[in-house]
Amino acid sequence: MTDSVPEVMEGAREMVLALADDELCIGQNLAWWIAVGPFLEEDLALTSISQDELGHARALYGLLGDDVDALAYGRQAHEYRSAHLTELPCRDWGETLVRHFLYDTAETVRWAALADSSWEALGAVARRALAEERSHLRHASGLLSRLLRTEAGRSQLLPLFDQFTPLACELFELPPGCSHEALLADGVMDRSLSDQRAEWQSAVDDAVASAGYQPQWPADGATTASASGRAGQRSAHFAALHAEMVEVLSLDPTARW
Amino acid sequence: MSRAVPAGVVAAVRRSVSQVCDPEYPEVTIAELGILEGVSSSDCGSTVRIELVPTMLGCPALDVIARDVTDAARRACAGADVSIEVTFVDDPVWTPDRIAPSAVGFLAREYSVAVRSRSAAASCPICGNDALEHRSDFGPTPCRSVEWCPSCRNPIEVVGRVDLPAAMGAAPASPAAMGAAQASPALA
Repeated sequence: MTDSVPEVMEGAREMVLALADDELCIGQNLAWWIAVGPFLEEDLALTSISQDELGHARALYGLLGDDVDALAYGRQAHEYRSAHLTELPCRDWGETLVRHFLYDTAETVRWAALADSSWEALGAVARRALAEERSHLRHASGLLSRLLRTEAGRSQLLPLFDQFTPLACELFELPPGCSHEALLADGVMDRSLSDQRAEWQSAVDDAVASAGYQPQWPADGATTASASGRAGQRSAHFAALHAEMVEVLSLDPTARW
Repeated sequence: MSRAVPAGVVAAVRRSVSQVCDPEYPEVTIAELGILEGVSSSDCGSTVRIELVPTMLGCPALDVIARDVTDAARRACAGADVSIEVTFVDDPVWTPDRIAPSAVGFLAREYSVAVRSRSAAASCPICGNDALEHRSDFGPTPCRSVEWCPSCRNPIEVVGRVDLPAAMGAAPASPAAMGAAQASPALA
C-alpha cells in the first residue's frame, strides 16, 4: 500500500482492528461450548473453530502492533470495535448455529475482498484465513441444511434469522474515521462493502430458501441502531465476555501458558 | 554498523533448529513436518532470521515452537554476536504435502495418525485400507480431522482437514459454493 497516504493507512488499521475484535469476541464465545455441545463432534467442531477465529484475531492484531495481548485484552471497552452480533453469548445451540452460519458466510466474503489487498501483509492473512473458512462454512451449512429439513429445525432456527440479520449487517460497516472510498481507491479491499453485503445476503437467502423462507433485510445503510459497536459503544454482553477473557491476566499479569 | 553474519553461524543455526521437535509429536522435527521454512542472515544488521510456517493460524502450540526454536538458535550461536529473529510467515501456506515421507511413515507407525495430502490419499495406519470415511473436519487439534476405517472399524485421526489443500488455489467463487458443495457428514 502507498505509505505516502497516511490517512488511508490509518483507516485501514481502524478497519483491521474492527475485524480483529469481531474474531476475538466470536472466538471467545464459541470456546464456551467445550464439553457442553449437543454431541461430542460438535464440542470439537465449535472449539476448533474458536481456536481458528482466535488465531485469525492474533494474526490481524499482529498487523497493528507487536504486543498482541495488549491490543486484544488491554483496551478500554469503548476502544473495541466489534460488531454486536459477535458479543452475543448464544448459549442456546440453535442461536450459536445461526450466528455461526451468518458470521462465517460473511467472513468468507470479507476475506475474499481483502485477499488481493494493496496492504500486502493483510492480503496474506486474508488468503491464509480464507483457506480455513471452508471447513467452518461447510460445518455451519451442513448442519443448517439438515436441520431445516425438519419441522422442529425450521420452527426453532428460522425465527433466529430475523432476530440476528439486522445485527449481522454491522459486519459490513466500518468504524468512524475509515473512508470507504479511500480504502477502495487505494486497493485495500477490492469491492465495496455494499457489494460484499449483497453477496452475503444472497448466500444467506439461498441457504434458507429451501425452507420456504425469506429473511427480512434492513435497507442498506439503515442499520445505524446496530452500528454502534463499530463506533465504540459496547453491547450489554461485552463486559462479562471481556472479564472472562482477562480473568487469568487480571490475577497474574505475568502468567505464561 | 551493519555486519554480516558468518555463513558458518547461519549453517549452525540451521542445523540446530532443524532438530527442534514438535510439541505434539516429540520424535518428529519441525523440519520434517514442513513447519521450518528457512534460516537466513538478515539484510540489515547481524541477525539470523528463522521463518516458520504455522500449520493453522490458531494452533496453540505456536508459542511453544517459537520458544524452542529461539532456544535452539541461541545455543547454536553461543559466543557469536548475532541476534535471533523468529517469525511466523503467512506465505507460503502450510499443507500436509509439506510433511516428509519419512515422517508420514513414522506418524502412521507410532501414533496411528494418517496424513492426507494432494499427492496421496490417506490410508488407514492400522490396517492399510485406503478407503477411509470422513467423519468430521474437527479433531483433537486444529490440524487434524477424524475419519473412520470401515475395514478395521477404528476411528482414525488424519492430519489435514479434508479440503484445506484444495483451498490453496483460486479463491472460491462464492460462500454458497464453498459451503453448499458438500454437506457435513458429521451427523450421518
